[in-house]
Amino acid sequence: MKRHWWKALGVFLIIISIVFGLLGEVQALPILNETIRVLYYHVPMWFSMVALMLGSLIFSILHLRQGSPKSDLIANEAAKTGFLLATLGLITGSIWARFTWGAFWVNDPKLNGTAVTMLIYLAYFVLRNSVEDPQKKGRLAGVYNIFAFVMMIVFIGILPRMTDSLHPGNGGNPGFNKYDLDSNMRPVFYSAVVGWILMGVWITNLRVRVKNLIANA
Amino acid sequence: MLGKITSLLQLNIKLEWQQRQSYFSILIYVLSTVYLTFLVFNGTMSVETWNSFFWVIFIFAAVQAAYRSFHHEAEQRFLLYFGMVSPQVLILGKIVYNFLYLTLVGLFTTLLFIFFLGQNMTSPGAFIFILVLAALGFSSILTFVAGISAKAGNNPALPTILSIPLLYPQIITLSRVSQRALTGFSWEINAPLLLVLSMIALVCFLLSFLLFPYLWRD
Repeated sequence: MKRHWWKALGVFLIIISIVFGLLGEVQALPILNETIRVLYYHVPMWFSMVALMLGSLIFSILHLRQGSPKSDLIANEAAKTGFLLATLGLITGSIWARFTWGAFWVNDPKLNGTAVTMLIYLAYFVLRNSVEDPQKKGRLAGVYNIFAFVMMIVFIGILPRMTDSLHPGNGGNPGFNKYDLDSNMRPVFYSAVVGWILMGVWITNLRVRVKNLIANA
Repeated sequence: MLGKITSLLQLNIKLEWQQRQSYFSILIYVLSTVYLTFLVFNGTMSVETWNSFFWVIFIFAAVQAAYRSFHHEAEQRFLLYFGMVSPQVLILGKIVYNFLYLTLVGLFTTLLFIFFLGQNMTSPGAFIFILVLAALGFSSILTFVAGISAKAGNNPALPTILSIPLLYPQIITLSRVSQRALTGFSWEINAPLLLVLSMIALVCFLLSFLLFPYLWRD
């Protein structure tokens, strides 16, 4: 129990966000209306993706410093889980956009940021697959991962601030930034964020253990 | 260190000049793609289209050009460099070389665009300045990625796959400012964007410089 409590906490928080996300009170903002509930299911995907990519970055740096194969494995698996969460964020976002903006995909800085992030990490996976030698693979992938993370932050953290976005909360759109996020919504939103981060860590943890078992078998 | 870098730069230019066909192949690459654009368009082109095609062609030419920077290094020469110069000097020498090379490729592409597709630039000075900034940012990323692909073996698609997503932040900003350079440019209004571009170039340069020794270690 001592070692596994965080997994239960993650599940608990996600259940809370699902139940209260669907049943709880939300403000009726123009354009958004009830679709504001996507906040609980879409935005946490990006938060947890960044968290997992950050974990991947940290293990890549550790790998470059110490060269242990395990940290490279963790870096790779964390990036894969982050990619999975990004895919989920993309799907939830597209469905929401279809009904709010009228199209699955529009030219928006945040959407471009997502596309670039996913392409960068796809390149990372391609790079890993094109090198045979595990030592060399770990080093090249680690180096590229650091580059990838910094470019991702530039793209999703800096450039969107330089331009307007269609996203709620930017460029005059009603939304859920810190000024108008309803106090009812905040606890649900934060529990979804923490819950999904823990879930992502758990998925990564399981995958690393499976890979270790296969390697040792 | 500066002396070593300049001698490495001279060595690079000398070695590349012995294989002049690599320069010509890049020039012909640009020529044929620009002419392709001309043929496809078959008429006048709006400023926006001119600008977009320019960057797409320049980026692919730049990837092609920089890909060669470690391509020619046979494994033996890797070993020779390994013993003679520190990785920091090596990457600096290569980045400076690629910076000069990409600037020239960019100017050549601009000339061809003006020749075939016509353009009365309102601020040529600003356009060239943006081109130099682009070469600055591209050279660090492309040199570094060329190093990765050289180490990763011969996968011809790898340099493009690895470098283009890393270049997106710059490309988006570059195409935005350069379009203004074509239609009417104000240094004051565009100063923040130019600053962002320089900062991205600086970050890319620092990353390449700091990470290259890890890449180089065998």
